[in-house]
Amino acid sequence: MEKLGVPAVSVVTSMFEENAKAAAYKRGMPLQRISFTPHPVAFQPVSLHRAYAEGNDPTTGKPLMREIAEALTKPLTAEEKKTGVLDRTPARVLGPDTEENLQQLFHKNGWTDGLPIVLPTEKRVAEMLKGTSHRPDEVVGKMSPATAAHEAWEFTVEKVAINAVMAGAKPEYLPVILTVASTALTAIPASTTSFARMMVVNGPIRKEIGMNSDIGALGPFNHANATIGRAWTLLSKNLSGAGVLGDTYMGSQGNNLSYNNVCIAENEEKSPWTPFHVDKGFKPEESVVSIFHGWGIAHGIGVRSINKGLHFHISNLLGVFAPYSSATSQSGALVLIDPLAAKEIKKNKDVDTKEKLQEWLYQNTLISYDDFWNDELVVSFTLPAAQKGVEPFASWLKQPKDSLLHRFSSPKTINLIVVGGEVNPFFQAGDFRHLKSVSIDAWR
Amino acid sequence: MKRRLNFWLVGLFVVMSLLVGFTLDGPGLAKGEEAMITVLNPRGKPPSITLVPMAPRLDTLDGKTVYFVDIRFPGTETFIREMMAWFNKNMPKVKTEFRSKAGSMFDDDPKLWAEIKGKGDAVVMGLGH
Repeated sequence: MEKLGVPAVSVVTSMFEENAKAAAYKRGMPLQRISFTPHPVAFQPVSLHRAYAEGNDPTTGKPLMREIAEALTKPLTAEEKKTGVLDRTPARVLGPDTEENLQQLFHKNGWTDGLPIVLPTEKRVAEMLKGTSHRPDEVVGKMSPATAAHEAWEFTVEKVAINAVMAGAKPEYLPVILTVASTALTAIPASTTSFARMMVVNGPIRKEIGMNSDIGALGPFNHANATIGRAWTLLSKNLSGAGVLGDTYMGSQGNNLSYNNVCIAENEEKSPWTPFHVDKGFKPEESVVSIFHGWGIAHGIGVRSINKGLHFHISNLLGVFAPYSSATSQSGALVLIDPLAAKEIKKNKDVDTKEKLQEWLYQNTLISYDDFWNDELVVSFTLPAAQKGVEPFASWLKQPKDSLLHRFSSPKTINLIVVGGEVNPFFQAGDFRHLKSVSIDAWR
Repeated sequence: MKRRLNFWLVGLFVVMSLLVGFTLDGPGLAKGEEAMITVLNPRGKPPSITLVPMAPRLDTLDGKTVYFVDIRFPGTETFIREMMAWFNKNMPKVKTEFRSKAGSMFDDDPKLWAEIKGKGDAVVMGLGH
């Protein structure tokens, strides 16, 4: 509104003071007039809202509403009228300094994940760059901690290689890391809800670089899984400015999955079904990385003494996941199934194909109309989409109030990945929705 | 004689090399002195910032229309209405208008911005959490 010539005041809760001021700075208005209320405001009683409105801005100690009135009428200072351009291109080389001091510099500046890093010397980065045919100065893309709320930073192949070195990756992993970077999807979204991201690799590159999709695939046992996943976290911080607490990261509790982003490969060899990337339209011989977005993963065990079948256990686990969708993001789930469990499921004619299992899970994870439309995230995201006429949500809104609705927007949004070593018919499931699958081969 | 001298020189070289090995920590470094290295900066390129001057302020709010916009973060609309109520009670000469932005809190609403530009004089906007 300021750009349109209308004086404005933004009102924000005090928890977001740093975040709001940083956002104002990045958008070119470092002294934007912002007033703050105590935190939190959402879902508090009206009496408290009144008290906050009649009380003080906790960051200045001044009466809030008088401050707002003054912000709309007090003449602008010379600083507030300033124009010009601030260049923020970072220096290419850091140092010279001792290794210990440089490690400290990286930690203090928030450029690491809190663990020691491999320092990216010119020699190590040059070695890493041998892992791709792409030029070091080629622009890979732009990445933001949250596209709606934060600016996007630009980065090159060399910058991705630097972060790959820091993570301890080998040059042969670089095409996978470049592919993940090229998706422009951060591993550490800014959301207050502590989202995590995860990545699954399919195709020949899994074997070429020695990724683990077998026993212990999700554990800390494999160099490629460990360092590729870590590289995504580091490059998300350093190539987009993500992960600055109070500014570009507001996850209230944080997410432990963000250390490695559940970086795994699918066990295509032991799976009774088609590989995940083939389901997404890629050829079996293509190497592909798939990115997912969610909060967490829960475990389930396929107890063989129970006759109903493993798919019943899976539906029980999926029946607790958040059902929200938006105009651009569909609610979904991810089931990580051990090959032994997958083969067990395949024996049942009702669910012997991926499509049948997806359809069965879709039909058996229903939610009441009332619970669905009263979910906070549904109110925030799905309801506006439904009101705009986005299907199927517009139709769901018109259904009788005593009806049941689908938790997931379609059977296809229940993603099935086979991973594990056939030791026990286990499965894990998460509220992770599929965002994107991208060919790795272009980055070799 | 020449042979003996050569033997002596070789011996002296070996002893000197060992001494150097004991006193130096690496090539050209005294014992305890750490090597200085340079590394490459891992940071991407943030966009340059174009400073935007703020809109001129109003002389007074009396007789002016102030829009109170709820950005549609769940559970905060009543607070926006309470702010508006404060104006109605304490600054009754200010005309107030309440609006809820279209879509979710992340969606743009150019129609509303155009309305405020055309009919309003100032805007108060909030809130999250």
